[in-house]
Amino acid sequence: MIPLLEIRDLAKTYRVPGKSGSKPAQLKAVNGVSLQIAPGETLGLVGESGCGKSTLGKLVLGLTPVDRGEVLYRGTDLVRLSARQLRPYRRHMQMIFQDPFSSLNPRMTVGETLAEPLIIHRLCAATDRQSRIEELLDQVGLDAAAAFRYPHEFSGGQRQRVSIARALAVEPELIIADEPVSALDLSVQAQILNLLREIQTKNKLSYLFIAHDLAVIEHVSDRVAVMYLGKIVETAPADELYRQPQHPYTEALLNAIPQPDPSLAGRPAPLKGEIPSPLNPPSGCSFHPRCPYASEICHQQEPELRHLGSNRQTACHHSDKVGLKKP
Amino acid sequence: MYAPLKKTSTGPLLQVRGLKSYFFTRSGLVKAVDDISFEISAGETLALVGESGCGKSITSLSILRLIPEPGRVVDGEIIFDDHDLLRMPPTEMRRVRGNQISMIFQEPMTSLNPVLKIGEQIAEVLRLHRGMTNGEALTQAAKLLTDVGIAAAESRLHDFPHQLSGGQRQRVMIAMALACDPQLLIADEPTTALDVTIQAQIMELLSKLARDRQMATLLISHDLGVVAGNADRVAVMYAGKIVEYAGVKQLFKNPTHPYTRGLLACIPRLGNKDPLPTIQGQPDDKNNGADGCAFLERCSTPCSSGGSKIPHLQEISPGHFVRCWRA
Repeated sequence: MIPLLEIRDLAKTYRVPGKSGSKPAQLKAVNGVSLQIAPGETLGLVGESGCGKSTLGKLVLGLTPVDRGEVLYRGTDLVRLSARQLRPYRRHMQMIFQDPFSSLNPRMTVGETLAEPLIIHRLCAATDRQSRIEELLDQVGLDAAAAFRYPHEFSGGQRQRVSIARALAVEPELIIADEPVSALDLSVQAQILNLLREIQTKNKLSYLFIAHDLAVIEHVSDRVAVMYLGKIVETAPADELYRQPQHPYTEALLNAIPQPDPSLAGRPAPLKGEIPSPLNPPSGCSFHPRCPYASEICHQQEPELRHLGSNRQTACHHSDKVGLKKP
Repeated sequence: MYAPLKKTSTGPLLQVRGLKSYFFTRSGLVKAVDDISFEISAGETLALVGESGCGKSITSLSILRLIPEPGRVVDGEIIFDDHDLLRMPPTEMRRVRGNQISMIFQEPMTSLNPVLKIGEQIAEVLRLHRGMTNGEALTQAAKLLTDVGIAAAESRLHDFPHQLSGGQRQRVMIAMALACDPQLLIADEPTTALDVTIQAQIMELLSKLARDRQMATLLISHDLGVVAGNADRVAVMYAGKIVEYAGVKQLFKNPTHPYTRGLLACIPRLGNKDPLPTIQGQPDDKNNGADGCAFLERCSTPCSSGGSKIPHLQEISPGHFVRCWRA
């Protein structure tokens, strides 16, 4: 089966001005990432701040120019297309952002916000527009009167529903959701996660779901890719990843999730050290300074992402030892 | 001049009784904190849990008498070490703040002064409250930075906040809060802005420091995972009131208020992919002026008495209090 979206060796380097007199530094935000998303699939992309996960989302949508690599949408390389050629593809891919406060125009009513993509992409006649907007609002659980109100009149969860309705307006095949629930309260987060799943089934959507919360990622994803300092360090089906992580970083992330159960005392010690600066990544495996399994080879040689079985990949010299220490 | 309040009794270090903090806004009265009572003993950690707007942060600001206009404490007692903080003259209150009670905030970037070196900021506390000379204060500041796990502390004294990572900034905030060896630490969402692996490090540091110093902690959090791992007792807040109050094991084993049960149910748990149970609706910040149970509209099990009256906080088993007609 042709994947809906295939990313091959994608890279983006930002030039960061150095201190006075020195040369600009290179920040490799995304450094040779390859991923695939099948139709109807949810790929979860997890990693900590600064690992490049949001940049990756922007590269896929063409919101940031790509330095190297390919973004194949149903076999067409979007990187080579001109802005005009790209426009019809934009319709198929939509984005939902983290902050529903800054991603909606405060001067437009919800109805105007939802009408805009319909007008730009000439998706329905002016006479049908109102009923289409009502239909979209209904899909995300808002009532028709919401169309006449402004974003500030809504709570965070309701605004995120508006963002979802806006994304759905153009009937996309792929939605890139960048931390869509991390700004929301727990009870509202659950509502939005359920809604995202419901519209996925109904509209046969694929998701690239970007988040830092591994419990949320595991809940929504079919497959998960774990990112660290611009690279994918592990990909696996969600349930396998959680049952048996094969990269030490994945294991550490899983161990660090605070469990809502006070009887789980004496958990493994948290990962030592800080996330290194992407301006000056460590030699060899970029995770080695924090890794409990690191040995000599990890300091010198960068591990390649290699296949373990048919549907798993990991980039670790010691993947066979990972996970065995799990309680 | 530093004049410690004398510790005279062996009762709880902090007793909050019938605290009411109201906001007199142009659009009406908001009962942000409405008749809440709790206590914390030395060495103990009490967690205040709830979603945004439930009054948990206003509770902590009330203790320090730092509520912003148009809010004020309208009733209640805050007995700290046998003194009622609400009836203390402002000059005396200033000696308590940052000295016997200190606070760390969620956003370490906005709560540190960006144009002062971190050594200066820590030293300032020590000069002010402990009457140290500049040299003494800087030596002590370096020692505190070492205590909170910052390597090469003496050279870091000369760093500005922007030169540190988020986790390091939070460590600096903790060092500042601990400078005067406070009896009570208020930690308002101390790890919410941090990555999961760093969150685990900071929570471990906080609980070690509390243990070593027999310090009482008021932990404010929306994350039930963090609470389960770090609190001794928990107060769940909803719309300005405590709806459940119990030991941490009791609360997680036998959650009784429908809101507590709902919150625990809607956390995504590893290995479970079923749609999440949700709490219908969303917190309504205007509803709490009403007479009835504030949770009534969202409650999954409406009660026979219809919630037309506010239920009392009743003890259902030793040390386990619930505010619900059905309890």
